[in-house]
Amino acid sequence: METSYPQGKSFRIDEVCFEKGRITSILGRNGCGKTTLLRTMTGFLPYRGSIEIDGKECRDYTGLERAQKVAYLPQIMKAVKMDVESLVEHGRFPWHGSFRRMSVSDKNVIENALEMTHMTSLKARDLTELSGGELRRAYLAMVIAQNTEMILLDEPTTYMDIESQKLFFEIVRTLADRGRGIVMTCHDIAQSFSLSDIIVLMDQGVVRKTGTPDSLEKYRDDLVQLLGAAVKRIDDEKLMYPYVLIR
Amino acid sequence: MRKYFFPVVILISLIMLALLAGNSAVRTKDFLGVLSGGGTDGHKMILFQVRLPRIAAAVFSGAGLSVSGFLLQGSLDNRIASPGILGINNGAGLFVLLSACFFPFQAAMKCLMAFLGALLVTFMAYGLAAKTGMSKTSVVLAGVAVSALCASIIDIMISWRPEIVADKTAFQIGGFAAVSAMMVSFGAPVIAFGLLAAFVTAPSMDILRLGDETAHGLGLNTRRYRGLCVFCSALLAGAAISMGGLIGFVGLIVPNCVRSLWRGNARPAVFFCAVYGALLLLLCDTLSRMVVFPYELPCGLFLSIAGAPFLILTLIRKRKRLGAD
Repeated sequence: METSYPQGKSFRIDEVCFEKGRITSILGRNGCGKTTLLRTMTGFLPYRGSIEIDGKECRDYTGLERAQKVAYLPQIMKAVKMDVESLVEHGRFPWHGSFRRMSVSDKNVIENALEMTHMTSLKARDLTELSGGELRRAYLAMVIAQNTEMILLDEPTTYMDIESQKLFFEIVRTLADRGRGIVMTCHDIAQSFSLSDIIVLMDQGVVRKTGTPDSLEKYRDDLVQLLGAAVKRIDDEKLMYPYVLIR
Repeated sequence: MRKYFFPVVILISLIMLALLAGNSAVRTKDFLGVLSGGGTDGHKMILFQVRLPRIAAAVFSGAGLSVSGFLLQGSLDNRIASPGILGINNGAGLFVLLSACFFPFQAAMKCLMAFLGALLVTFMAYGLAAKTGMSKTSVVLAGVAVSALCASIIDIMISWRPEIVADKTAFQIGGFAAVSAMMVSFGAPVIAFGLLAAFVTAPSMDILRLGDETAHGLGLNTRRYRGLCVFCSALLAGAAISMGGLIGFVGLIVPNCVRSLWRGNARPAVFFCAVYGALLLLLCDTLSRMVVFPYELPCGLFLSIAGAPFLILTLIRKRKRLGAD
């Protein structure tokens, strides 16, 4: 798959596969193409080559059909004047378009999404009144309510404090356990290694390495070159995450 | 439910009142007579050929202009966007002059040209803005540029053919004194269609508010929806202008008021815009007939007097809000 920016910077992926039921983290330096990859996979950017979603070419889907398969949460989330519940209701848009009304099962999906993200008590709040972490959880509830097999998240943990990040990863793990595929970009290397099933390493618009955290741990030099740091697994109960950063 | 019925009830009462008000002698008794099927031909003529078209024109134009502003503000994410500011008014004005130049005294042609002018200018401004990156400022700047271009062509035409000015001044202030049943039968269905389209697609507007990328992730074709909004707003404004001339500020005041009072979804907001827009314009038109009775003021004058200070207030409030963030 190939895509390019208007500025002429190009981007090329030979093959990469994201699976359901797993948490995949895409790691790489700023500007290595993580966000571009996510955007292209949701059809936001035009591409040459092929992106298959559930066996069908991405560009052959209509917008709503694609949104029934893949949910995407961009890095910038707007705090507009809207209450949390209405926001989460918009997650049902791909299944309705503009015409149908909410059914009982839609209401259930919305309730579950709110509960899962611990936003039920905040559902009447306005988005403008939420903290950064709460706002991100509200948007997460929206993409959960979208009920897709894959969920793409662009830097979901930015602006979150440690507690919120922990809660966030618990939610994402529950989703993966229930069979949804999670693909996310992240800047916290140790956290990603500790909490993901698959790591995808990117550099200058190319996927360098893919594998489980354990299998990638040994490529210390490559990690340092690509990420600026490597990781080491230390099994100590006092550590928050089993992987720690090393030089 | 009260918040939905209340404005509708007021609108209906105002329509009744407006049917009664006027400078020729139709008394309440005569009015009721006509309603119950009787009445003289003269009374019928005044009610159905003069007052009813005029009221219908005010109601439809008000609803149309206000929803047009709502669509522009929502789809361009800019509270100051409105048919006037984007140059739609000047574009329609230019085309009306053209029609006065080449097809003098043809009302149907005037309507059609106003309509075409509105459509053309909207798409020019929108295309220009899309080329330059679609930011909030570029849309308004593109509108101002296109508007200035139209205004200068208007001036050139006036110096070249001064006799067409008479038609132009009445048109530019805006009002419903010259509305005929024919004009309404052309404009009202177009506006009804535009309102329906805006109402049906309103949920997409809520999605769009979350930002382009998020909206795209939810499956909304943002470019197509924006295009639809701009097309509908040009349709609505064009049809309204073809009936009432260049009535400014309705498209700015009403959606902004609705937005600050109503925080919910876009579909009810479209409804409120339509009803309150109709109410405001009908009120202004009725007042314009009554205030200096038996003479008449152009209805557009009332609106501009109220509208300009309102725009200033909106700007000040926005500035304050930005300062507080």
